[in-house]
Amino acid sequence: MNKKTLRRVEPYIWIAPSVILMAVFILVPICSVFQIAMNDVSKAGKLRGFNNFANFSKVLKSPTFALVLKNTIVWTIAVVVISTVLGFLLALVLNNKFRGRKIARAIVVFPWATTLVIQASAWNFIINTDYGTLNTLLMKLRLISAPVNWTPNAGAYFAWEIACGIFVTIPFVTFCVLSGLQSIDTSYYEAATVDGATYFQKLFSITLPLVKSSLTVATVLNIIYVFNSFPIIWTMTKGDPASRTDTLVTYLYKLAFYNSKQGEAAAVSVIGFLILLICASTYMIYTLRKGDDDL
Amino acid sequence: MNQVKKPVSVKKVILRVLLYFVVLDVCVITLYPYFAMLCTALKDRSEIFASIALGKSTILPVNVMWSNFIDIWSRAPMARYLLNSILIAGGSTVIAMLCGIPAAYALARMKFKGQTIFLGFVIVSQMFAPVVLLIGIYKVMGAMGLTDSILGLIFINAAFNQAFTVWLLRGTFMGISAEMEQAATIDGCTRVQSMLRVLLPVAAPGIVTTLIFIFINAWNEYTVALCLISTDTLKPLTVGINTFNGYNMIEWQYLFAASIFAIIPVVILFMCIEKNLVSGLASGGVKG
Repeated sequence: MNKKTLRRVEPYIWIAPSVILMAVFILVPICSVFQIAMNDVSKAGKLRGFNNFANFSKVLKSPTFALVLKNTIVWTIAVVVISTVLGFLLALVLNNKFRGRKIARAIVVFPWATTLVIQASAWNFIINTDYGTLNTLLMKLRLISAPVNWTPNAGAYFAWEIACGIFVTIPFVTFCVLSGLQSIDTSYYEAATVDGATYFQKLFSITLPLVKSSLTVATVLNIIYVFNSFPIIWTMTKGDPASRTDTLVTYLYKLAFYNSKQGEAAAVSVIGFLILLICASTYMIYTLRKGDDDL
Repeated sequence: MNQVKKPVSVKKVILRVLLYFVVLDVCVITLYPYFAMLCTALKDRSEIFASIALGKSTILPVNVMWSNFIDIWSRAPMARYLLNSILIAGGSTVIAMLCGIPAAYALARMKFKGQTIFLGFVIVSQMFAPVVLLIGIYKVMGAMGLTDSILGLIFINAAFNQAFTVWLLRGTFMGISAEMEQAATIDGCTRVQSMLRVLLPVAAPGIVTTLIFIFINAWNEYTVALCLISTDTLKPLTVGINTFNGYNMIEWQYLFAASIFAIIPVVILFMCIEKNLVSGLASGGVKG
């Protein structure tokens, strides 16, 4: 091989391990999911040929799927919107100089670093009616006189799951916004102060426009991560009762591994995949365009 | 400054107090679940289940049961779970870095056809959490005989962390001038040598951040492990600790004592990289 061809293929040798790793363990599973979704699948998992989108029509016709889809949307929007607002406010607070700021920041990292299963178990314990620590605490503080049932119905359970989701998502937003806030030149604020701008004027005309890009990245990523979030719901309710707290991912897990309906589960995967693809391509176009601006 | 000190206004004092009040509240709420876990981990079983309605429940443990922290090692194969977690997280980190460093290097230092496509795929792959692809993953791993194996989990974790690895390392490498490497090449170093001896030492902080972050992600991974691993002694901590969370009876004290072992290393590692991570966040986006 002469030197010129070597130079031309060299970059591909460098990226080869990474490409192979992602192709085998991400791309092939994606193709496999599509294949299963199109096929009639036996209980044992054998593919029995193309079945004219029967899996999709079965899924889309079932009333459970409509409920699950609604839950997924509520879950994603509630967690993302509330944690973005709270995370942004928290970042504004932590961006001030005060004694103990380092410690406060270290503490805020905690929920982000903890694995979701453990976080969800802890909340499950806290809100338990009969022996949970929330009731104990409120009783000791004499705020309540008898234990409160925090989870009287599926809706309440779902609300707690959303609260737990918010709790673990806030740090991510906070740290993204903080990174944006730290790159803002303080001279903008000084100039605005000289001109007599109020705090809120400065917030809306300096801070918000300048952290917009960090906030957008954080929000788009959060939509995707929250949409895919499995452990919180799985640990707290397993989607029960009767799928009332199921989201797409817990629903498809149950279909595939509890009910051996692999074809339908794959169809749910594909639907989720397509929803994500829209989010992902929006994000990719945004990021690549931003990358071009930097060059 | 030679200016006359301004008198402290009442408004400023109130704002200050308010600030501390908010920060304190946030810290208390954030730490509350950990406080509850620690207290419960130190309680006796009967104390945990003491009736609230009769006013018998406690916040702090009355009889501090340090033995809970010892019992968990015999009640379940905790040492195995811990070892498995270390193997999975460590193995994933090594593979993700071995594949990611050359790829990031090529993206940062070379120009080639398909660069944008590769980068696009890297970004998109980050969007697909393994859970949506579980059925596909299960099938593929089955075909390769990697279900119910630690090696399989290592590959899956490495692959799904590849996006972040490549993205963050590319950023790190691009922030370092190529001049030194070029000088080394002129002195007779090959490309590989100049990368290993010149670039990587300079890029060490970025590499360490990436490394720790992959380790944490793999350590905290739950869903794929839950789905692929069926043999008890092959489970990582995140799945294994649910032994104490049985259908009929939950051993809260053991569950939380074991959880604390799973949390502590990660929180410490996270604090080490928190500062570097913030700068990498805005550019790439990362989260477990």
